[in-house]
Amino acid sequence: MEPTLSPTGYAALTILLLPLAAAVVALVCPCPDPERTANRSIGAIAIGFILSLGLFFFASDKAQEINFNWLAVGDLKVSFGLLLDPLSKLMLLVVTGVGLMIHIYSRGYLHGDRSYRRYFASLSLFTFSMLGIVLANNLFMMFVFWELVGVSSYLLIGFWFEKNSAADAAKKAFLTNRVGDFGFILGIILTWAALGSVNFTELASAVELGGRLADKSAGFSVLAEPLGKIFQSTSWWLVHPNVLVTLVGLLLFMGAMGKSAQFPLHVWLPDAMEGPTPVSALIHAATMVAAGVFMLCRIFFLLDIPGSHALEFIAWIGGVTALLAALMALQQNDIKRILAYSTLSQLGYMVMAVGLHAPGPAMFHLTTHAAFKALLFLGAGSVIYACHHEQNIWKMGGLRDAMPRTWWTFLWGTLALCGMWPFAGFFSKDAILAAALEHKNIPLFVLGVFVAGLTTFYMSRLVLVAFCGNARSEEASHAHESPGVMTWPLVVLAVPTLLAGAMGIDAFIAKALPSEHPPHNEGFLDNLFAPFNHNILAAGFGLLAVVAGYQLARALYVNADRDRLPEKIGVLAKMARDRFYFDELYEWFISVTQETLARVADWVDRWIIAGLLVRGTHGTTELFGRALRLVQTGSLQTYAFLFAAGVVLVLAWQLLGNSPTH
Amino acid sequence: MSLLSAIFLLPLLAALVVLCIPRNYKFVIRLVTLGATFASMLLALALFAKYNAAPVENGFKFVERHAWVSVSALKLDIGWHLGVDGINLGLIVMGAIVAFAAACVSREIKRLEKEYYTLLLVMTGGILGAFASLNLFFFYFFHELALVPTFIMIGVWGHGENRNYATFKITIYLSLGALIALAGLVALYLQSGANTFDIVELTQAVKARPLPLAAQSLIFPLLLFGFGILVSLWPFHTWAPLGYGAAPTATAMLHAGVLKKFGLYGLLRVGIPLMPDGAAAWLEILAFLCLGNIVYCGLVAMRQKDLNLLIGNSSVAHMGFIFLGIASLNIVGVTGAVVVMVAHGFLAALTFGLSGALREKTGTLEMEKLGGLLRQIPFLGAAVVMAMLAGCGLPGFANFVGEAMVLFGSWRVFPLVTTLATWGALIIGAIYMLRAVRKILHGPEKPEWAALKDASAWAKVPFVLLLAALLLLGVWPRLLTDKIQPSVAAILTMANTRAADKAPRAGEVKKAAGEAKQRAVQPR
Repeated sequence: MEPTLSPTGYAALTILLLPLAAAVVALVCPCPDPERTANRSIGAIAIGFILSLGLFFFASDKAQEINFNWLAVGDLKVSFGLLLDPLSKLMLLVVTGVGLMIHIYSRGYLHGDRSYRRYFASLSLFTFSMLGIVLANNLFMMFVFWELVGVSSYLLIGFWFEKNSAADAAKKAFLTNRVGDFGFILGIILTWAALGSVNFTELASAVELGGRLADKSAGFSVLAEPLGKIFQSTSWWLVHPNVLVTLVGLLLFMGAMGKSAQFPLHVWLPDAMEGPTPVSALIHAATMVAAGVFMLCRIFFLLDIPGSHALEFIAWIGGVTALLAALMALQQNDIKRILAYSTLSQLGYMVMAVGLHAPGPAMFHLTTHAAFKALLFLGAGSVIYACHHEQNIWKMGGLRDAMPRTWWTFLWGTLALCGMWPFAGFFSKDAILAAALEHKNIPLFVLGVFVAGLTTFYMSRLVLVAFCGNARSEEASHAHESPGVMTWPLVVLAVPTLLAGAMGIDAFIAKALPSEHPPHNEGFLDNLFAPFNHNILAAGFGLLAVVAGYQLARALYVNADRDRLPEKIGVLAKMARDRFYFDELYEWFISVTQETLARVADWVDRWIIAGLLVRGTHGTTELFGRALRLVQTGSLQTYAFLFAAGVVLVLAWQLLGNSPTH
Repeated sequence: MSLLSAIFLLPLLAALVVLCIPRNYKFVIRLVTLGATFASMLLALALFAKYNAAPVENGFKFVERHAWVSVSALKLDIGWHLGVDGINLGLIVMGAIVAFAAACVSREIKRLEKEYYTLLLVMTGGILGAFASLNLFFFYFFHELALVPTFIMIGVWGHGENRNYATFKITIYLSLGALIALAGLVALYLQSGANTFDIVELTQAVKARPLPLAAQSLIFPLLLFGFGILVSLWPFHTWAPLGYGAAPTATAMLHAGVLKKFGLYGLLRVGIPLMPDGAAAWLEILAFLCLGNIVYCGLVAMRQKDLNLLIGNSSVAHMGFIFLGIASLNIVGVTGAVVVMVAHGFLAALTFGLSGALREKTGTLEMEKLGGLLRQIPFLGAAVVMAMLAGCGLPGFANFVGEAMVLFGSWRVFPLVTTLATWGALIIGAIYMLRAVRKILHGPEKPEWAALKDASAWAKVPFVLLLAALLLLGVWPRLLTDKIQPSVAAILTMANTRAADKAPRAGEVKKAAGEAKQRAVQPR
């Protein structure tokens, strides 16, 4: 089964393995010059980017698979396999492109840190894991890299592990992700048990075959028996194929919930900013959170099986996340925290799009978002660097003149995030709103428009407070532009932030993902106005929300010296600031459930099993021994007496028991 | 002396050599021990390299057979019979590597070195001999040969105030377990009517004429619980954390890593194939007892304040996956169980070795007292992090492969248990492992540990070796699984042949729409 590799196969393998090689070399070879580690990491991803560009433009659109036999036991066959199709090619470009900029930027941002080597090793490991998810051709491999992404994020969020907050945030991120992974692996096991494979292509043809045989559940009814065993019943609602298909879909979705930080597993993402800022950029833009949405697009055919209701649930989870996160962002004062909540909110959009049977727009938004969110985070890093690690926007102000390059790029990123025409974010967000309209899902459409307004509001607040007005602190007044190694990546990222919307990326995605009205690439200028022709309602409301949000923010925050929003909305502001008490709620819940269980188990172990039973047995044995010792007196008379008594007893038993009287 | 017998006779011979060396030649004693275990490790690796999966009669390779005691009047026939198949191959190689690592970390022993190293070598030889033997007599004899030194080592060179109670408890427990298993083995010998202790001959005899049902249902539980006690099956597990906490590092590594697998190996080699009907009644119960290991002991581990007790409890928890895999009785699950047996051997040795190194450096294993150590001892710290991550099933390490296979295999048979075990594997395991990392390694640096020094180059050797083994098997699992699978398949054929052949077990997969899919996509 060892394949012969085509040039594209070699390219894909190289893209995947180079960052791993960089990480291993950085860890194993003690090299006195840390800069060389950085250069190796950057080189690895740069080559990856060039090769990805080559694949994107020159490789054929036909899906290509490479399989190495990794594990084959019984009917569990797992290959170390790569899948190259338009979806993974686009994602490769996003991960390596945005990742490259972040790598270069990190070289300046982390300059002089004593763990420079460890930083770049982890960064390369992170890139490798993410590329693995992108290229995986089966669920098992995806899970392997899924976990590796989790652990790389653990290493990077906890990069400054001496800080208690960073160490806690790293642990929290890993554990929250694990909750999602619990569902994901169960979903994978169930899928394998039902369809007999973990390979995407084979699964897809199995589902298709099921559809053709009018076996709607595509083999999922196999699961009825074990599930009946779990619940000790075989009621119709348990064994109905629709229920099984939905269940599997939701379990798989749990993985995305963890990685893409969807409600209710969203709590780790805001804390994850405890890592260095470029790491936040990487987690929020190109890797990690994107993995969840990408996975949903990859397995969309499993969620979309007729009879499955998983997508409806997914859409609402996405919508709720988008709304909650946008509300939480309203009252944050930490520049990175605002951006973190905006990521949550945008991820909510993407997940909602998947739920609305529109994986294409979800991928589209993922792509544009990767560019402008990386830009925004790196811009924020530049601001923080300039203000000597001050992160509170109310202690900034007036940075517009001090750091022009950061200011302009940050403004572009903000406009894209808000969804202002002609920036990239407008097009992808519009596609999602249009999908909501097409599916006649008015509540989610209204929610989407409202969240767009909120987004503009809090982002305008951020820009107006941090960049405009007067400097509100010593640090801000002395701020000056960051070095070129940090600002040039901003400029580079600003290009796709402006252009990616109308370049026909959506049409490219449509080659891999099904959609009812596949978008066409009709040239840049036509694309620029396509949203208005396609669905004027969605585009119009989207822009209206932007304008309304900006006007509100302007009224409140131009030249403001404090936040006047709490006076207007009262208790909602406090709740938003305190993140609606989810962390407290979870802490309480975990302490009353799992911790209590652990306490009980520990108590039982100590006092019942080890104490009462084992020591009890030991005690009884000892008591018995002591009793026997009483008999062994050493006195001959006693022995003689016992001997005689024994003889009498045995005789009596023999004679009476066996007497033939019966 | 063939390759196979050399692997375990070498340490035993070295033990004799050490006995002849005057006690103040400490360096020579240590050198002989290191040399013998190193040579035995190389031989084991050579065995692994030479082993190929080509089918042979009876499934055993490197067979060595001599008559030993044969008393026809007593119908007693005990022969020297060695051999390896896919199941004990991995265990022997793992055992030999762990033994070398254990000899490496034994530098912490500062008194009665001569006696210590003699016992260590005897223990090593015993363990490896038990796994290589295909005769129940020697199988059991070598196990006892390894077990008795364990008790003495904990009692004499152990740590902590609980040492005496721990020695007492572990001795009682393990002797009792071994005794029950012995009763089962003797009963098996008598009931089979084949008048042989030879496992291969017994297997053939049973194949021809299965044991009577009544005998099976009596003997199997004896073996299950006898072996179960040896493997710390819940609720007979309380000796393990306590005993390992008190044991000298090398003893904990060898026992938790290698010797403990004896019970599992026995269950797989003797219990399941020879008494399929006896097993059928008990496997469901065994699956639920696994939860006691995986979930309950995991929860207990969450509450531990001492690192060694945490590791001890987590080691007990990992045993649950092996039991679950065995209970599932299908090729994926049982193969996974064997992989976990090997992987856990490396992992247990690694974690106990690391905690021993930490104790040697800091004098304490109370996690509250430690903290911020990663900066002072980057190598040991990084190794601890990797060991902990391997322990909570991170892909890339061998444990993940094994545990994932167990979960895949057992789902159809025990769905509820598997779901809860997944919770235990992914979440409970991660909680206590990461908590330990957080408490010991992360956090602000503490002034009292400012002068701590990282492991020297020599002290790194055992840890690098064990980590490399875990990583290699994690990245390239087929090294093991391709060898294990045929042997497991042979055992499963016997295990799934019932006297009263009832409904087909879940091992046979429903391939309703499967066939077409299998061929739908051939790799290009």
